[in-house]
Amino acid sequence: MREMIVSELNQALHELARGFAHFLPRLIVMLILALVGWAIAYFVKVVLRSVLRLIKFDKLSENAGASQLLSKAALPSATEVLSRFVFWVAWLGVILLGVSVLGILGLQEQVAKFFLFLPRLFVAMFIMFFGLLAASFFSRAALLAAVNANVPSPRVLSLAVRSIIIVFVLSVVFEELGLAEQTMLVAFGIAFGALMLGLAIAFGMGGRDLARRFLEKKIVRDKKEENEDELSPL
Amino acid sequence: MPLNRTALWYKDAIIYQVHVRTFHDSNGDGIGDFQGLNGKLDYLQELGIDAIWLMPFFPSPLRDDGYDIADYNAVHPTYGTLDDFRKFLESAHERGIRVIIELVSNHTSDQHPWFQESRSSRDNPRRDWYVWSDTDTRYNGARIIFLDTEKSNWAWDPISKSFYWHRFFSHQPDLNYDNPAVREQMWEVMKFWLEMGVDAFRLDAVPYLVEREGTNCENLPETHEVLKELRRRLDESFPGRMLLAEANQWPADLRPYFGDGDEFHMAFHFPLMPRMFMGLKLEDRKPITEILHQTPEIPSSCQWSLFLRNHDELTLEMVTDVERDYMYDSYAESKMMRLNLGIRRRLAPLLANDRRRIELMNGMLMSLPGTPIIYYGDEIGMGDNINLGDRNGVRTPMQWSGETNGGFSTAPPERLYAPIIQDPVYGYQAVNVLRQKASEHSLINWMRTITGVRKSTGVFGRGSIEFLYPANHRILAFIRQLGNEAVLVVNNLSSSAQAVELDLRRYKGNILIEMFGKNIFPRVGDLPYLLTMGPYQFYWFRLRRI
Amino acid sequence: MAEESFLTDDFLRQLMNVGEVDILVGLPTHNNAKTVGSIVHTIQTGILRGFPRARAVIINADGGSRDGTPELVTGVSIDDARPASNLYALRTLHSISTKYANSSQPSNKVAFRTILAAAELLRAKACVVMSPESANVEPEWLSKLLGPIYHDDFDLVTPTYSRHKFEGLLITNLLYPMTRALYGVRIRETYSPEFGFSGRLGTQFLGQNIWTDATNGTGVELRFTLAAITGKFRICQSFLGEKIQIERRSADLVPALRQTVGALFSALEPDFPVWSVVAGSEPTLTNEADHGVLLEPLRINRKRLREMFSTGVAELESVFQSILSPATLAELQQIARLRDEDFRYPTELWVRTVYEFAASYQKSVISRDHIIQALAPLFRGKALTFLTENRNASAEEIENNIEGLCREFERLKPYLLQIWKSSE
Repeated sequence: MREMIVSELNQALHELARGFAHFLPRLIVMLILALVGWAIAYFVKVVLRSVLRLIKFDKLSENAGASQLLSKAALPSATEVLSRFVFWVAWLGVILLGVSVLGILGLQEQVAKFFLFLPRLFVAMFIMFFGLLAASFFSRAALLAAVNANVPSPRVLSLAVRSIIIVFVLSVVFEELGLAEQTMLVAFGIAFGALMLGLAIAFGMGGRDLARRFLEKKIVRDKKEENEDELSPL
Repeated sequence: MPLNRTALWYKDAIIYQVHVRTFHDSNGDGIGDFQGLNGKLDYLQELGIDAIWLMPFFPSPLRDDGYDIADYNAVHPTYGTLDDFRKFLESAHERGIRVIIELVSNHTSDQHPWFQESRSSRDNPRRDWYVWSDTDTRYNGARIIFLDTEKSNWAWDPISKSFYWHRFFSHQPDLNYDNPAVREQMWEVMKFWLEMGVDAFRLDAVPYLVEREGTNCENLPETHEVLKELRRRLDESFPGRMLLAEANQWPADLRPYFGDGDEFHMAFHFPLMPRMFMGLKLEDRKPITEILHQTPEIPSSCQWSLFLRNHDELTLEMVTDVERDYMYDSYAESKMMRLNLGIRRRLAPLLANDRRRIELMNGMLMSLPGTPIIYYGDEIGMGDNINLGDRNGVRTPMQWSGETNGGFSTAPPERLYAPIIQDPVYGYQAVNVLRQKASEHSLINWMRTITGVRKSTGVFGRGSIEFLYPANHRILAFIRQLGNEAVLVVNNLSSSAQAVELDLRRYKGNILIEMFGKNIFPRVGDLPYLLTMGPYQFYWFRLRRI
Repeated sequence: MAEESFLTDDFLRQLMNVGEVDILVGLPTHNNAKTVGSIVHTIQTGILRGFPRARAVIINADGGSRDGTPELVTGVSIDDARPASNLYALRTLHSISTKYANSSQPSNKVAFRTILAAAELLRAKACVVMSPESANVEPEWLSKLLGPIYHDDFDLVTPTYSRHKFEGLLITNLLYPMTRALYGVRIRETYSPEFGFSGRLGTQFLGQNIWTDATNGTGVELRFTLAAITGKFRICQSFLGEKIQIERRSADLVPALRQTVGALFSALEPDFPVWSVVAGSEPTLTNEADHGVLLEPLRINRKRLREMFSTGVAELESVFQSILSPATLAELQQIARLRDEDFRYPTELWVRTVYEFAASYQKSVISRDHIIQALAPLFRGKALTFLTENRNASAEEIENNIEGLCREFERLKPYLLQIWKSSE
C-alpha cells in the first residue's frame, strides 16, 4: 500500500514536474516579455510625458475644462493621467501579445479584437478631448460677446452653444466606437435642427472671426440710438 | 579763320566776357591794355570763343569800374589808343572772333562834358539832356538799386542848386531820353563804333531809360520806343550787327525787350542763373525747370544769353525771400561775401573748387537753350578776393603763368591795378593757363573739349527744349531738338550716385551715342531707359536712328 | 531663407526716386476720400511752413481703398511735373502711395510697418504718423510733433489733447495710470492717431520680431510707445489741440480694449525685466503745461453702464473665477448688488482687478482674447463711478482725481509683482 502511494505520488510529482517543465519555458518567456513590455511601456510613457509637457498639454486640458473634472475626481494632472493610461495600454498590449504567443485558445481571438479596437478608442478619446476644448472655448466666446453686446440671457446662449457642440462631439465619438450610433445621430439631428443657433455655430466653426464680427456688428447696428449717449473710450 | 557770316551768328556763338584792364598788360604799367589783349587772341581762339564782350573801356573817372563814362568816342588812355583798339578789332575778326562792346546808355559820369554843361546853368542848351528837379520827391515809385551805398535816386547839385536823377551811383546822372537830341546823340555814338567794325553792343541798364510819374520807372513803353528806334536804324545801316540787353527782370517782364524781333536780338536770362546754383545745393531740379517754364517764348530771331557768373555780384533780386536766405546760407556764410542782394564770389569758390560741380554747371550752361557766356578766368577756375571793395574781388588780373604777377604784367606787384590772387588754392602759382595747358586733364582742356562738342551741332544754339520729368527729382533731363537732330541731356544735381528711369517712348528705336566719347549706349526700347549716374555727372547723348 | 518682402516693387521704385529725406510723414488710409485731400494739404502747409528747407515726403500706406483715396494723395505731390499748386515750395515734396502687399483688409500693423520700412530706407531723420480720422488737424501740428525730434534730438513725441472731461476714460482710468505705474514714465497718450518719432527709434522697432507674430499684432502703436520707454529713448509730449474724431467710435469698446489693453498686457511679459524694477514715475517733458479740459455737460446713458456692469459680473462669473482672485470676485459681486444711488467701484478694487487681469493674461488661464473681452463690463462700472464722482468737478479736481488713481496704481504695484511671480 505504502509503495503504491509513494509511486503514485512520485508519478504525480513527475507529471507535475513535467507539466511544469513544459510550462516553465513559456512562463519564463512570458515573464521576460512582461519585463520587456514594462520597459517599453515605461519608455513610451516617459517620451509621451515629455512631448505632452512640451506642447503644454496641461494648459489645453485646463481650457477644455478637463483639468477641473480630473481634480474633482482627485486624479493627477492630464499629462500624468494620459501618460499612465498609455503606459498601461502599452504594457497590457505587450503582455497580451505574449499570451497569444503562448497559444492559450480563445484568448487569441479576444486579443486580436482588442488590438483592432485600440486605434478607434484612441481616436474617440482624441475627438472627445478636443471636442470638449472647442465646446468650452466657443461657449465662453459666445458668453462674452453676448454680455458685451448687451444681449439678454447671455448664459443661456452660452449653455446652448456648449450643448450643441458636446452633443455633436458625443455623436461622433459614439459613431467612432460603434456604440448606439443611430440613436445618438438621431438625437443630434433633432437638437441641430431645432435650434437656429446651431446654424450659427456651424458657420462659426468655419469662420470664427467672421461670425463674431457679424454678431457684434449686426446687434450693435440695431442699437445705434442707444450709442448716442455713449462715450468714446479713447 | 573768317567770320561766320550767317545772320543769326549770335545763336551759335560762345561769348567770352572780359575787361581789357584785367587781361594782359603790354606796357608794364600794371594795367591791362588793348595791345596785351590783342596778343592773347590766339588763346581765345583755341578755347573756342566766337565773340568777346568787352567791359567799358571809354574814358572815365573809374568810380564805377568804367560804367561812368566821360567820353563816348575814345579809349581810356591807360588801355591804349583808338588805333590800338582798331588793330585789336581787326585781329579778332581775322580769327573769326566778333567783338561786343558796352554802351552805357542810361547815364554818364558826372565828369562827362555834357553834364558839366548841363549843370552849369538852367539855361544851358544841354540842360535838358539830364533829368533835373527842384524837389527830390518826384518819381518816388522807383526803387533804389545800389542799396548798400545810395539812399535816394535824387542827388543835390550845388552848382545849379537842384536835384538830378540817378538810378545808380550819385556820380552817374541819368540821361534824359525824352529829349530827341539825346536819342540822336546816342545813335551817333553807336554809328561811330559800328563804322569802325564793332559787331554788337551790350546796352547797359536799359529798363531805366525813361521815367514817368506814378510808375516804378522801369520797363516803360516809352523806353521800348526808344530802343525800337535804335534797332530800326541799326538794321537799316548795319545789318548783321547785334544788340544785347542788360535788364535784370523777371522773364515775363523781359519779353517786351525782344519786341516782335524788332528790338533787342538778345537779353540776359538773369533769373535762371541763381536757380542753377540753388538747384545744385538743394539737389533738386525744381527751381530750374520752374523758371524755364515761366520763361516766355521769344521771336525766332531772338536768343537768351546764359551765364554762370559775371563781373557783378551773383544777383538774388529775382528770387523769393526764402530762396534768398537759402542762397545766403548755402553760398555766402560770411556777411562780407554779400552785396546789394547778391553774392560777390567767383564760380570756383562758390562751388568749393569742386571740379565735378564746375563741370556740371558748365555742362548745363552749354546745353540749356541760349548763348553761353564764359566770364574770363572761370575757364581755369580762378578764385576771388572778397577783401577788395565793391565787386572788385571778382575782377582780379588774369593768371597766365606761375611767374611774378601771374604773367599778367612786368610791373612791380604793388603797381597792379588790383592785387593778384595769391592764396595756396587759387593763387596764380597753382591756377594758371600755362600749367593747365600742359596738363591733359586740366579744366581748361576740358573747357576746350566741351566748347568743341557744343559746336559740333547746331542743336544747342538753335534747337527747341523739351523737359523730361523723371520721378527722381535730382535729375534734370531734357531733349534739345533741331529738325531731325535730337540730343538728350541728363544732369545729376546730387552729390551722391543716382539711378534714374527716363520715359523715352517717343524716341523708341534710337541708339544713344554719348557725345564726348562717342560710344554707343543701349537702344531705346519699350521699357523706361535706366541710367545710373555718379555724383554731379552729366551725359549728352545724340539720338541716332540707324 | 529670404522672407518674402512685404514692400512691392513699385513702391520700392518710388522710394528710390524720392531718395534720402529729412522728414517723413506717414499717412495710413482706408477709404478716406472725403477727408484725405484736406489732410494732405494741411500736412504740406505744415511742412513748408515749419521746415521749408527740409527734404520731405508723404508716404500713404493704403489698405485697399475703393474710393480713390491713393490717387487723391499722389495727385497733389509738389513737384515740377504737376500743375502749380497754390503752395510755394523751395523743393520737391513728394507724395507717394502704396497698397500694402498681400493684404486683403486694412491693418494698422502692416501700415505702420510699411511706414517704418520706408523711413529706414529713406534714412529719414524725423518722422510723424498722421491720421485721416482726426477732424481738426492744423499745420502747426507738424511742427509740434516733429520739432523736438528735428531740432532737439528727441526720439518720441506723443501728443496731448484738450478733451471733454468724460471722453477717453479708458486712457485716464486704465492705460495712463497703469503704464505710468509699471514703466515709470508719465505719458498721457500712449495710443494716439498722430505721433512723431526719430529714424533711430523707427529702425530699432522695425527690427523687433512682433511683426510676424499674429497674436501680438494688435495695438502696434502702443507697443511702439512701450518700446521707446524700455529702450530708454528720449520722450516728450506736445500739446496739439482738441481731439475731434471724424466718426465717434463710441460703441467700439471691445476692439479698443484689444488694441490698447491687449497690447499692453501682451507687452508685460517680454518687458518684465524692465518694469519689475521700476518704482514710482518720472514726469515727461511737455511743451505746453496745461492741456485743458472741456467742461460742457454731456448727456450720458448711465443706466446702461450700470446694467452692463451688473450683468457682466453676474453672467461671467465662471469666467471671472478663472481670472480673478476669490476675494476680488466676491467684492465685485457685492458692489454689483448695490443700489444705483450707492453704486461705487472703489479705486483700490479697480486697481486690483486690473492687475489680476494682467497676471491672468500672462498665465493664459483661458484664451487671452477672452480675458480682454471679460474686462469690458468691469471697465464700464469704473467709468460710471468716474462719471458720478466727477459730475460737477472742475478741471483741476479731475486732474487731481486722475493723479490719485495713478498713485493707487503705483502703490499697489508690489501686489502685481507678487501675483505675477507666483506663476513661475
